[in-house]
Amino acid sequence: MPDQPLELLLVEDNPHDIELTLHVFKKHNIANSIKVARDGAEALEFLNGATAENLPQVILLDLKLPKVNGLELLGQIKSDSRTRNIPVVVLTSSREDRDLLLCYELGINSYIVKPVDFKQFTESIRQLGIYWLKLNERPQTAHRVRQA
Amino acid sequence: MQNAGFIRTDEQLRLLESVVLQTSDGVLMLKISGVQDCSKEPVFINPALERMTGFSLEDFRNIGLPLLCPRPDPASLDLAGPNHVCPQHSEQLVTRKNGSEFWAELSFRPLAGEDGHSTHCVWTCRDITERREAQEKALLLSSIVENSDDAIIGKDLNGVVVAWNKGAQRIYGYTPDEIVGRHISVLIPPDRSYELPLLLDDLRRGARIEHYETERIRKDDRRIIVSLTMSPIKNAAGYIVGASIIGRDITERKKAEQEIRRLNDDLERRVIERTAQWEVSNKELEAFAYSVSHDLRAPLRAIDGFSRILLEDHASQLSEEAARYLNIVRKNAVQMGELIDDLLAFSQLGRQQVAKQSVDVRALVRGVLDDLAREQDGRRIQIRIGDLPACEADPVLLKQVFANLLGNALKYTRQRDPAAIEIGVVPQAGKPEPIIYFVRDNGAGFDMRYADKLFRVFHRLHRAEEYEGTGVGLAIVHRIISRHGGRVWADAAVDQGATFFFTLAGADHLLTSPVTEAAAMS
Repeated sequence: MPDQPLELLLVEDNPHDIELTLHVFKKHNIANSIKVARDGAEALEFLNGATAENLPQVILLDLKLPKVNGLELLGQIKSDSRTRNIPVVVLTSSREDRDLLLCYELGINSYIVKPVDFKQFTESIRQLGIYWLKLNERPQTAHRVRQA
Repeated sequence: MQNAGFIRTDEQLRLLESVVLQTSDGVLMLKISGVQDCSKEPVFINPALERMTGFSLEDFRNIGLPLLCPRPDPASLDLAGPNHVCPQHSEQLVTRKNGSEFWAELSFRPLAGEDGHSTHCVWTCRDITERREAQEKALLLSSIVENSDDAIIGKDLNGVVVAWNKGAQRIYGYTPDEIVGRHISVLIPPDRSYELPLLLDDLRRGARIEHYETERIRKDDRRIIVSLTMSPIKNAAGYIVGASIIGRDITERKKAEQEIRRLNDDLERRVIERTAQWEVSNKELEAFAYSVSHDLRAPLRAIDGFSRILLEDHASQLSEEAARYLNIVRKNAVQMGELIDDLLAFSQLGRQQVAKQSVDVRALVRGVLDDLAREQDGRRIQIRIGDLPACEADPVLLKQVFANLLGNALKYTRQRDPAAIEIGVVPQAGKPEPIIYFVRDNGAGFDMRYADKLFRVFHRLHRAEEYEGTGVGLAIVHRIISRHGGRVWADAAVDQGATFFFTLAGADHLLTSPVTEAAAMS
C-alpha cells in the first residue's frame, strides 16, 4: 500500500499468531495497512530502507524472534534517531519480570502479555490497536499526511 | 684403733669428754655387770640423749632399757672370743618420757677394757625423724614420677640422662639401664639435632619450655611426635644443675587432627561441588520453566484462536455437534494455559525467598475477596470474617494462600444458596502460639479418606466437569506454608463443607488432624 501511510509494523515469527492478530485487526476494523516482519533482521532491513512516510505509526514487537531477537531489535530501534520516536508495544508470551524490566529500560511504550484465551487476545489487540492508532498522538513530520 | 694413743694428757681427755657432751647424737654408756643375763647398769648419758628422750640417768637406772636395747647376743659381748661381732644398728620408734615417739637410728657397741674384754657398752641414738620424713617424701615423689604415663626424664647440663621413669621406657623403648648415663641426643633424629643446643641454652638461663612439639626417635627407630615440657632443676644453693623433661607421645593425636582436617577439607570441597551442581541445575530449571511458559502458550493460543474464529465466522457451516466439539477443544486449550501458569508458579516457589514482615491479615483477606468479586456476582454469599490478628509472613505469598483457599471456597459452594464462608482463627485457651487460621465453607466438601492427597500436585477429589481446576492450587498453598515453617491441614465431610487450617510457624508439635474445637457450620 504505497500511497497509504503504514499504520503498523508487526514483528512476529509465529505464523499462527500473525494470522490471529491480522484477523482481529481486520475484523474489528482497527488497521488496514500492516507490514509483517518474520524476524528481527527483516524488521531492521525494512526500517532502514523505509522513507519517512513509510515508517509505521506503531511497532508491535514479539520478544522471541530468530536471527535478531526482540530485545536487540528494540535496542536498535531506540538508538536510531529516525525510528526512536515510533511507539513500540511489546506483545509477547513472557510475563517474566526480567523481560519487563529490560524492555522498559530500553524505552518501550507498552508491554502486553499475549493471553491464551482468544476472547481475551482479541480484546487486547483491539484495545491496543484503538489506543495506539486512534487515540495516541504522535509528532508529525513534514511529509506526513494525516489519515482521517 | 688408730686413735688409741690419742689420750695422753688431761687436756686431751677433757677435749674428748667435751665432744661427747656436745654432740647432737645421744650417747648412753652402760657398765656390764653380769655377762650371763646381760644385765647392764647405766653409768653415763650425755645431754643430747636426755634432750631427745626426756629421760635422765636416774630414769634409765629405774626403768631399765627395754625400749632402747634390743637384747644383744651374749656372745657378742665377748670381744676376745671367736664370736666377736660388728656393732649393731637398728632403726626403731623410740618413746619419750612424755609419751611421744620419734624415729631413731640406734647403734650399740661393746667397749673393750684394757684386757680386751668388754666391760662397758655404748649406745648411740640419732633422731632420724627428718631423715625419715625426707625419705618418705622422696619415696612418694619417686613413686609418682616412676608410675606416670608421661615420660619424665632428668638430664644434666651436658645433656646426659640421669633419670628415666617407666613412662619414658614405654614411650622411647629404652630401659633405664640402657640409657641412663648416655647422651640425650640418642633420642633426637638427625634433622632435629639443631634443637638440643638451643634448648640447653634456654635451660641454662632458667627458662621453662612448655608444650614444645617436636619429633623423637624410639629405640626401634620409629619416629614419634612428642610434646615436651622442660624445666630447670636447681640444687639447694639455687644453681641450675640440670633439667627435667616431661614428654607425651602425641603421635596418635596428631594423626587424628590431620584426619579431621582432611575430612573437613573434603567436606567443604564436596559442599562447594554440590552447591555448584545445585546452582547449575537450578539455572537449568529456571531456563526450563521460562521455556515452558513461552513455548507452550503459543500453540495453545493458536488452538483457542482458530477454534473461535471457526465458531464465530463459519457458524453456518458447522453442525451443532461440530460446534460442541470445537468448544471442547477451546476449553481444553484454556485449561492447559491455566495449568501452565499454575505449574510455573509452583515451581518458582522453590526458588523464591520468603520475605517475612508484619502482615495485616484482615486487610489482605478483604483484598483477596475484592479480587474474587466476579466469582461472587449474582450469588447469595454470606461471608463472615472473624478476628484476624496480624502475623509475620511474606505478604505476596500469603495473599496467594488466601486467594487459593477463598477461590476454592467460592468454587465449591456454587451449588449452595446461600453459600457460607467464614475466615477466622481457632480459639486456643492458654496457648496463643502458633495462631491457627482457618477458611471454612458449606460447600461440596470431600471424603476424608482421601485427605492425604489433597495437597499433592494434580490430585483432585472432584470431577473436572463438576468443578474445574488444575489440581495445583492446594499444592501451591502447601508449599508456601511449608516455606514459612508452618502446617496446613483440612477437615471435611462429603456434601457438608470443608475447613482448611494453617499456621505460619512453630507448628512442629501440631498433628495434621482436625482441631476438635471447630464449631460445626450451621
